Amino acid sequence: MDGPENPGAGKNQGSLRPRWGMAIDLKRCVGCQSCTLACKLENGTPPGTFWMRVLEKEEGVFPLARKVFLPVRCNHCNNPPCVTVCPTGASYTREQDNLVLINQDKCIGCRACVVACPYQVRFLAGDSKGYYGEELTPYERTAYQNWQPRTAQKCTFCVHRLDQGLGPACVQTCPTRALIFGDLNDPESEISQVMRERFRWQPRAELGTDPSLYYLP
Amino acid sequence: MTADFSMQPRSQQEWSWLVAMDLFLGGLGGALFLFFVFLKLPAAVGLLSLGLVTAGGLVLLAELGHPARAWRAICRPFSSWISRGVIFVLLFLVTGSLTVGPLLASFSWLPWAPDTLGGKTLGMIAGVSALLVTLYPGFVLAASPSIPSWNTPLLPVLFFSNSVMGATGILLLFSSIGFWSQSIAELNALATLLLIANFVLLLVYLLVLGNSGISAKESVRRLREGSLGWVFRWGVVLVGTIVPLLLVVLLPSAAALAGACVLAGGVLFRYCVLEAGVYVPFALT
Repeated sequence: MDGPENPGAGKNQGSLRPRWGMAIDLKRCVGCQSCTLACKLENGTPPGTFWMRVLEKEEGVFPLARKVFLPVRCNHCNNPPCVTVCPTGASYTREQDNLVLINQDKCIGCRACVVACPYQVRFLAGDSKGYYGEELTPYERTAYQNWQPRTAQKCTFCVHRLDQGLGPACVQTCPTRALIFGDLNDPESEISQVMRERFRWQPRAELGTDPSLYYLP
Repeated sequence: MTADFSMQPRSQQEWSWLVAMDLFLGGLGGALFLFFVFLKLPAAVGLLSLGLVTAGGLVLLAELGHPARAWRAICRPFSSWISRGVIFVLLFLVTGSLTVGPLLASFSWLPWAPDTLGGKTLGMIAGVSALLVTLYPGFVLAASPSIPSWNTPLLPVLFFSNSVMGATGILLLFSSIGFWSQSIAELNALATLLLIANFVLLLVYLLVLGNSGISAKESVRRLREGSLGWVFRWGVVLVGTIVPLLLVVLLPSAAALAGACVLAGGVLFRYCVLEAGVYVPFALT
């Protein structure tokens, strides 16, 4: 099994290290923003910061107008421009599974990575302000301890959950199973199988970033 | 929520006035030092260039989220232009200070006068580091693949040319107090040449962007229309280029005013480039 409940239980027993990736089925996404909220709940990000969000756009004209949705988040690129431009090494690729992460203790808050990310999915954490006025809620007080103000922030694919053998919160929450998460290096994983069967494209592939995120149109 | 989550093109919001000032002061100081070294200008010019680069560094520190960790910025010289820039600036401040030192009365006892081998070597290293300090700001922006109007080799060239023009602006501004020891006609001729060359480069830059992808075209549109268009047209083109050009050609006695206009145009140019940095919009195919 390689579903969202147990992404690390693939059959990749070879020498290849896991490369976590995500395929997003655009036919299944209904723009409910459940993933956006699940991410906020799991990671306790402050107002204005969305590690995961679903963009929307109106297409066509009445009576044939419709809304289209595009979930966006960190692509955990194989060749990440945010890592290249970081002057301190705060943005780095974790060797064991190719996740792009941030060491907040090293981040100087220069914003170079925020600007360099072609996917606009990095944020600079502001000073701690809650959703409900000046005073933080008990949940916010606890959650905000996980990140330092004025450092870069972004989706980690819920690395803390991955390290426990769980899948990202957004994947677990998605009611239509539009988000498929797994090991791209494991040919038996669900994501690899879907990618073999379906046409897919990587966002801004022309930049050579080799994102670990694929859209299935 | 819908507005924030739309797929429309948006410009970067992270770098604005402070970064524009840092890019301006660093480039200006480096270029001024090049004039100081190669044209053997008075020590005050060298001191001013060191001051400008220092001021640029301080502005950058103020912009950082965690200035106390700024020392870490030298950790990635093989990939990050910010890292390289910090190293260039530090090298310049050390070698530049050592080069200017013996020219000052209170430090004339230093053994490496400019005509000694040590002095010449230091001067050469300081000159090269000043060149690198002048060049790197353009590369910091050009290294961002996300913003097509920055991610072009034309931008470092344009930033360099604008910095050299700005250094000429400083010389024009302070020509009356002895920053320029040769004839003012020569300085005006140099300024005229640089103003025209920089304007041509700017037109080429805009022309190339205008014939590029949707995001680059959007950058050009923002430079032509709206409030940013107003700053670009009246600040960069009129005040920063046309007025000083007319002054140095028709009214050489107003050199100081021409210099001030060039400097104002230089700051506004960098601000406009930053504000017009439009990301490639999200697409569904």
